[in-house]
Amino acid sequence: MHSATPRTRTHRPAALAAGVTALLTTLVTACSAGGSGDGATAAGGPPRDGGTLRLAVAKEPECLDPHQSPTEAARLLSRPILDSLVHQTAKGAFEPWLAKSWTISPDGRTYTFTLRDDVAFTDGAKFDAAAVVANLNHVVAPATKSLLASSLISAYKSARAVDAHTAEVTLKQPDSGFLGALALPNLGIESPATLKGSAAALCKKIVGTGPFRTTGGLVAQKGIDYTKNPAYDWAPKSAGHTGPAHLDGIKVQIVPDNASRSGALTSGQVDAATGLDPTSTKTLAKTPGFALHKTSFPGANYSYWPNTAEGPLADVSVRKALRAGIDWSTIDQRVNFGQYPSAKGPLSTTTPGYDGSQASAYAYDPAEAARLLDAAGWTGRDAKGYRTKNGKRLRVEHLWSDPSVTNLAVQIQAAAKKLGVEFVEENVDGGTFVKRLLAGDYDIIDTSFSSPGPDVLRVLFGKENIPTPARGVSNNMARYDNPAVEQLFTQARHATDQKEQFRLYGEVQRHITDDAAVLPIYSPVSTFAARTAVQGTGFTADGSADLYSIWLAS
Amino acid sequence: MAGLLTEASAPGTTARERTRRSRLLRLVLARAAGSVAVLWGAVTVAFLLIQLMPGSTVDVLLARSSVTPRVRAEITAQYHLDDPLFIQYLSYLGRIARGDFGDSYVLRQPVWDAVGAQLPDTLALIAATLLVTAAGSVVLAVLGANRRRWVQSLFAGVESLVVALPPFWLGLLLLTVFSFTLHWFPTVGASGLGGLVLPTLALAAAPTAVVAQVLREGLLRALDEPFVTTARARGIGELALRVRHVLRHALLPATTLMGWIAGSLIGGSVIIEIVFSRQGVGRLVLSAVQDKDMPVVIAVVLLAATVFVVVNIVVDVLQWLIDPRTRGTGRPA
Repeated sequence: MHSATPRTRTHRPAALAAGVTALLTTLVTACSAGGSGDGATAAGGPPRDGGTLRLAVAKEPECLDPHQSPTEAARLLSRPILDSLVHQTAKGAFEPWLAKSWTISPDGRTYTFTLRDDVAFTDGAKFDAAAVVANLNHVVAPATKSLLASSLISAYKSARAVDAHTAEVTLKQPDSGFLGALALPNLGIESPATLKGSAAALCKKIVGTGPFRTTGGLVAQKGIDYTKNPAYDWAPKSAGHTGPAHLDGIKVQIVPDNASRSGALTSGQVDAATGLDPTSTKTLAKTPGFALHKTSFPGANYSYWPNTAEGPLADVSVRKALRAGIDWSTIDQRVNFGQYPSAKGPLSTTTPGYDGSQASAYAYDPAEAARLLDAAGWTGRDAKGYRTKNGKRLRVEHLWSDPSVTNLAVQIQAAAKKLGVEFVEENVDGGTFVKRLLAGDYDIIDTSFSSPGPDVLRVLFGKENIPTPARGVSNNMARYDNPAVEQLFTQARHATDQKEQFRLYGEVQRHITDDAAVLPIYSPVSTFAARTAVQGTGFTADGSADLYSIWLAS
Repeated sequence: MAGLLTEASAPGTTARERTRRSRLLRLVLARAAGSVAVLWGAVTVAFLLIQLMPGSTVDVLLARSSVTPRVRAEITAQYHLDDPLFIQYLSYLGRIARGDFGDSYVLRQPVWDAVGAQLPDTLALIAATLLVTAAGSVVLAVLGANRRRWVQSLFAGVESLVVALPPFWLGLLLLTVFSFTLHWFPTVGASGLGGLVLPTLALAAAPTAVVAQVLREGLLRALDEPFVTTARARGIGELALRVRHVLRHALLPATTLMGWIAGSLIGGSVIIEIVFSRQGVGRLVLSAVQDKDMPVVIAVVLLAATVFVVVNIVVDVLQWLIDPRTRGTGRPA
């Protein structure tokens, strides 16, 4: 089964990959399927205060502190507790949150934030410029051993408190992704007193300025209980409401098994569940009394990443032939029960900066594929019907990111065989995976990569992100190296205007499509299934369920 | 079964009694000494297996993300991952001997904290499972040890079916019926006895069926022994005959089997802990193996080995008590 979440499983490398970029925190409008639990209007009344939401989630973070942990689970579970300096809307625009306003110096290297002066942490401490400095320094401190947050702000040089409510951040070089990084839970602002404690203590319990607080913290394999912060009065504008949360509390339970999670929801033992697989969501959407809220994760689609540097897929014609000759979209619809939208480009359509002009390049055209392969010299056929060139079979080694890809991989393998291409499916252990990833010893790796902005393209196609033994694990699995695209990346990084940034990344998407540097399959979907009385649901920009605005009609 | 295990001889500390005690003590001491070797072997094999896994530990640890070389060096240094293998091994042994299992690479907390937080739930599940297995198999064996063929076949058939059921499927079945449909037991976040019922049943089903079969076979064989005729001739009731005399003969192989089952339950609990969303060591070790989180893996291996060893000593002592024939040499057969 394919999990509805991007592959942020803690330990397989490609999975890992799946977290490493600027995920912006925005409210993405939830599209609801089935049920009537779609926003406050459906319930026919104003939001009702009170009650505790019982939520079953699939995964737990190995550490709650998002400064340390790279996992999607840590983002989901820390967001109710932590606010950020800035907030990002669904369209990708930034709005004030803990920072009332900010200015960026013309050289793009100095950010000056004017902070709210009426914010307090739930442990009583005042939020001020010193707290901002302490948080940024905590993220980059080697002792924190940050597995994501510090690389999100790799351009960070230093920060200082100009006065109590003005913080100035200096970057080593301009980085148009900096605000996006700040908006993520990974750069969420924690109470400075707690940052002086041990890393282990922060893994269990964090303290912030957010709409909820936790007393008991994260209990391994069990969950976490939140109670509302009654003093909360600084929600971002696009949150839809202000003041304290409607819910008195949230009880999150870790329920790793999909069938148990789904059963717990339908039998009324929890009010909502996240991360249900396509079969369960399909059934739930049709079950009276329940609503399925979903949104495509922003970021890179679940894709096959061809090794563009070495092997048969170094030839762009062969890559284009695979793109045209396999009916990716039909396979996706069949395997995922029509629950995941088929992909037509490197980015999912919900990603800010997505360029839809190239969608037609991703159409199924077996005749064109055969023509491309003939032209590339793969004209021979061996006894098993595979194409050959100079007596060598057209053979593609697919390194699995995760054993759960089986169903999809088998169907694609069968489709490739019709085309005359042999797919060798390799499900290897984590250590071997890393070794071969670094050595470039593969033809295809599959993974998705959630991220709410087009900056993810730099992470996935930038020359400096090709994994090598010297560099370690990195995310340009296509090993793509195009000077024209490098040029665009540099320009985009320096762009201070978001429109210009999106235009540049649009051009990058066209280059990637021309070069067939990725074989996109589907957009993973973030799901939040709940009984219909659960109202005010939504998603943050990284695709996580947003818990702040939720209220219970009964 | 306490009455069953006590000696019928007159009370009082006779010379014979003293010899018996010292033999029992010798038995326990010898077994305990042997256990140290077993535990050392377990730690060594675990250490070597982890080293044999492809990829360097620091790569796997960091595989989740690209980090700066500085962070990489920090992690390598902290966990001494750059020391020669033999030195790493020796320092491990030294620390483990002192009871220091270090910090988990991934969970960023002392291993004992991580294991200790999960241990009570796993022990409760295992204890409940053993109890249900022991009681259930005795009942099933005694009821099914019938001369009529069809009764034997019926019991054997049902038991074989139960053994063949995958525990996760049985678990889901139990959940669907008793939790999702009938609402008798909670699914998630259940603590206390109510939450223990379904997982225990799912985990105990197969062992109960296996032990019951072994036990019944022993019962049937013992029923053919001449002493049964003698006892019947003295007018003993059928149930009393089975429970007081025959069962004792059948218990030996079943006790050995129970020992093995007890040791294997830590591993067997993984899938049950996942299906029932229970806290437990099984889930902990599953993620630790995936992460190559060596300190946690070694601690749990040692824990499982310790449980195994303790259970085996208990089994030996029980056999010594059950069967006088094993006492002659002080070494049970």
